[in-house]
Amino acid sequence: MSHYFFYIIASILILASIAVVTARNPLYNVLSLVVAIFSLSCLFVLLEAFFVGMILLLVYAGAVLVFFLFVVMCLNLNVASLNVTQKDRFRWLEIAAGFLFLSSFALALKSCLQAQSMHPSSIRGTVEIIGQILFTDYLLPFELTSFLLLIAIFGIVSLAQGALSTGKDLKNT
Amino acid sequence: MITLGSYLILSGIIFSIGLLGVMTSRSTLKILLSLELLLAASNLSFVAFSKFNGDYTGQLIVFFVILVAAAEVAIGLAIIVVMYRHLSTIQADELRTMKW
Repeated sequence: MSHYFFYIIASILILASIAVVTARNPLYNVLSLVVAIFSLSCLFVLLEAFFVGMILLLVYAGAVLVFFLFVVMCLNLNVASLNVTQKDRFRWLEIAAGFLFLSSFALALKSCLQAQSMHPSSIRGTVEIIGQILFTDYLLPFELTSFLLLIAIFGIVSLAQGALSTGKDLKNT
Repeated sequence: MITLGSYLILSGIIFSIGLLGVMTSRSTLKILLSLELLLAASNLSFVAFSKFNGDYTGQLIVFFVILVAAAEVAIGLAIIVVMYRHLSTIQADELRTMKW
C-alpha cells in the first residue's frame, strides 16, 4: 500500500521542483517550492521520521517560504526584466559540466542498484527519541547553533542599517 | 516494496534539478530557491539512510541542516533586498563590484 503513496508523492515532488526552476513569475517559483517542501515532508513521514518532517513543515513551509514570499512582494519586481537572456559565451563549458555531472550521476545510480538489498529498520524518529539524543550526545552542537543564529541576526541588522544610513543615491557615486 | 535505491534516485533527481537552477538562472532570488532544493535533496537522502541503517544520526543532521538553511536564507534575502535598493535589480550579472 505504501509504495503507491511513494510514487504519487515522488511525482508531485519532481513536478514541483521542475516548476521551481522553470516558472517565469517569482511568485510561482516560491509557491511551487512550498508544494515541494510539503511533499518532501510527506516522504519523511513515510520513512517514519516524524519529528524531522514536522520541523521541515513548520520551519520551511511556515517561516522561510513566507519570508521569501514577503521579499518577492516587497521588491515589486518586473517579471519581464527577470527573464532577459543574453548571448552565452560559455555554452560549451555548460555542456561539458552537464556531461561530467551526468557521468557521476550514472556512477551513483550503479551504487544505488547495489543498495537494493538493504531492508528498512524499525526505528521511528519520534519527538521523544530525537529529543533524548539531541540533549545528550549532541548537546554542544545544539547550543552552538544558537550562536550561529545570533550571528545571522547581527549580519541582517548590520546589512539593514547600512542600507538605511547610506540611502539610495549610492548608485550614482 | 520501496528500497533505499528508489529514495536515493529520487534525491539525485531533485539535486540535479536544483543544480540546473543554480547554474542557469540569472536572478538571485531563483538561485536561492534552487539552493533550497539542493538542501532538500540532501535531507531526503540523509533520512533515507537513517531509516535503512537503523541509526538516528541522519535525522539529527537533517535538523541541523534545517537550522543552517534558515540562517542562510535570512542572510541571502537581506543581501537581495540591499542589492535591490542600490541597483534596482536582482540580476546576478549586475553585481560586478566587491565594494561601492
